[in-house]
Amino acid sequence: MIILDLALMLITAYFVGFIYYGLYRNITARFQRRIGPTIFQSFYDSIKFFGKKEAISHGWMFYLGPIIMATGAIMTLFFIPFFYQSESFSGLSGYGNLFLVLYLMLLGPLGNAMGVGVGGNPFGVMGVTRGLTRLFALELPFYIAVVAIMSISQSADIATIAGSQTTINAFAHPLLFIAALFSFVAMMGQSPFDVVGAPVEVYSGPASEFSGKFLSLLMSQSAIFSFAKLVLMVNLFLGGADGFFELLWKTFVLFLFVIAFGAIYGRFKTPQSVDFLIKVPTVIAIVGLIFATAWGN
Amino acid sequence: MFATIKNRFATTDIEVKREDLYKVVVQRDAIFELIFMLREQYDYQTLNAITCCDWIEEEHFAITYILTTSDRKQSFMVQTMIGREDAQIDSLTHTFEQAEIMERDLHEMYGIDFPGNQNLVELSLENWVHTPPLRREFDTLEFVNNNLSFREGRDGNMDVKKEMKRLRALKKAQKAAAKKAKEEASEVSDGN
Amino acid sequence: MDEGFLKEQQVMESDLNSETSHKSSVDFLMDWFRRRSIFVLAYGTGCGAIEMPPTFTSRYDAERLGIRGAATPRQADVIIVSGYCSYKTLRRIIRTYEQMANPKYILALGSCTVNGGMYWDSYNTIKRLEDYLPVDMYVNGCMPRPESILEGFMALQKEIGDGKISSWQKYEDNYAFYRKNQEAVLGQTVAPAYDADWYLYDGGL
Ligand code: SF4
Repeated sequence: MIILDLALMLITAYFVGFIYYGLYRNITARFQRRIGPTIFQSFYDSIKFFGKKEAISHGWMFYLGPIIMATGAIMTLFFIPFFYQSESFSGLSGYGNLFLVLYLMLLGPLGNAMGVGVGGNPFGVMGVTRGLTRLFALELPFYIAVVAIMSISQSADIATIAGSQTTINAFAHPLLFIAALFSFVAMMGQSPFDVVGAPVEVYSGPASEFSGKFLSLLMSQSAIFSFAKLVLMVNLFLGGADGFFELLWKTFVLFLFVIAFGAIYGRFKTPQSVDFLIKVPTVIAIVGLIFATAWGN
Repeated sequence: MFATIKNRFATTDIEVKREDLYKVVVQRDAIFELIFMLREQYDYQTLNAITCCDWIEEEHFAITYILTTSDRKQSFMVQTMIGREDAQIDSLTHTFEQAEIMERDLHEMYGIDFPGNQNLVELSLENWVHTPPLRREFDTLEFVNNNLSFREGRDGNMDVKKEMKRLRALKKAQKAAAKKAKEEASEVSDGN
Repeated sequence: MDEGFLKEQQVMESDLNSETSHKSSVDFLMDWFRRRSIFVLAYGTGCGAIEMPPTFTSRYDAERLGIRGAATPRQADVIIVSGYCSYKTLRRIIRTYEQMANPKYILALGSCTVNGGMYWDSYNTIKRLEDYLPVDMYVNGCMPRPESILEGFMALQKEIGDGKISSWQKYEDNYAFYRKNQEAVLGQTVAPAYDADWYLYDGGL
């Protein structure tokens, strides 16, 4: 039964993720006064890349990168319950808690770093370096906020955290939410923190040497991973969801915010983004942590 | 300044092209001395350009160094002639660093050698093995005909000039016919 | 070899003599996806490069047709040769084209790629692009406006959707022919040096 559950989770995340990416491109186009592509565009792209034939090989180490990334993304998804009450769509979350999820979220970038490093494309290496630098910076405020949330609800179980919010955490602890939101924008690779795949600077960064099926895999995993991250945020800060409808509108609101945020800001340089993430959100998170522990509950 | 130059370099070929542009032609062995003198004593600090002109009938290249004062108000063209065969003249890179790229350009386009320039490699062409392209004995059209294929026109291709002539004649004839018809018509109406 | 205008003519008349295709359903589906998603390499040569930014940005918005830019040749489907190419550029175009993954297409803009255009007697530019690379679609004009570029793209999409384009196959099959022509103008070393020697020239940066 759990296999069926996992498969359903994966399929949901895959399609919703791709439709969100299509919406992302369409809505960004509207921001720029364009008509923009259809919402299935990302899906078309991914399938098309799947049908391409690569002319060369870089050796198996190189292709391990996207596979590890996809593994990381899918495992992250499996350990995040979609709904806080229901038995179904809870995946493996009974076997692991928030700590495991935080760890699994790191697996993808590290695997990718290994693969791209083998490929030897200078832009890929540059992009990965930027990615790891940013990762280091964005995790500081996010972890502080998450630790605070855990201490508030006295649990590391995601479903418990989601279910135990009487007022949702975003309103009860706005400082923590704001700090985590900054990290979240960076995690989704949005402006102003989109230093990793900046097209005019590092020529799409880590992905620059991939083509064909592996690029398709990368796109799919990023769609799945984005949805997993959205669900995690909804669970931690927006009170979780009790049904598909609630889950979809909550994730979509969050996603819309991220898009809007990205559409109106220009790109930071790498040191600037690290600087910003370490200074502003971290300080907000620490203040929020103090508030939460002193006056919380 | 002119008097000094005339005396020292034994030249009479000095002219004021514009208020802010002078030109002098000197012997080849005196040119660097002149450039140094202009630089040291008359503040012509900048080398703007090195140009070359191919006088194939007179069997020489005219090489011109254009110098500008530091306040950018005066320019001086210093010209000399070098033979076309084994064309070579000393490099100016030791005095003006920017001469390097200009000399590279001339080397590539005219085949002039600049002893003293360390970096006389190709500038914008790649693997060029024919005559340097801006020498006048280089026949561009012949080169193109030998090396590249043109597209044959389409089947119904017509000579534009002939066609225009034909169309014009046709039009004229039509007009004349129309006029004639009109006249006839008016005659008929007159007759009535 | 396909003449540019003949090709266009074919596209216009293709409805008239459309034969029933014998594609398998998988091929049909893949072609359907391919025509809806076209990644164009961000590369420009000649005057035409200036017409591409308006094509891809808000004014003409090629993305609504599924056409968008790609940063690296590995991800691109289409390379646009946007005007005259000197030998030096041709070298880079060939290298880039060979790096792209199959299926790949070439869109050539302007009269310079058709017959040399106003550079017909230049010693340093090639005259007919199709001697060196298999061109899928020509867009005429000097320079074609973004509207015509979009029209060219749409014609290309139509051909892709019908599964008629196999120029990359043609390039592989007739490689000897193309290679001979390439060597005739570029010498034995067709591909430029791979490492960053431009960076190391003149003592480096
Ligand atoms: S066809 Fe015209 S616009 Fe295009 S590259 Fe040639 S000269 Fe330039």
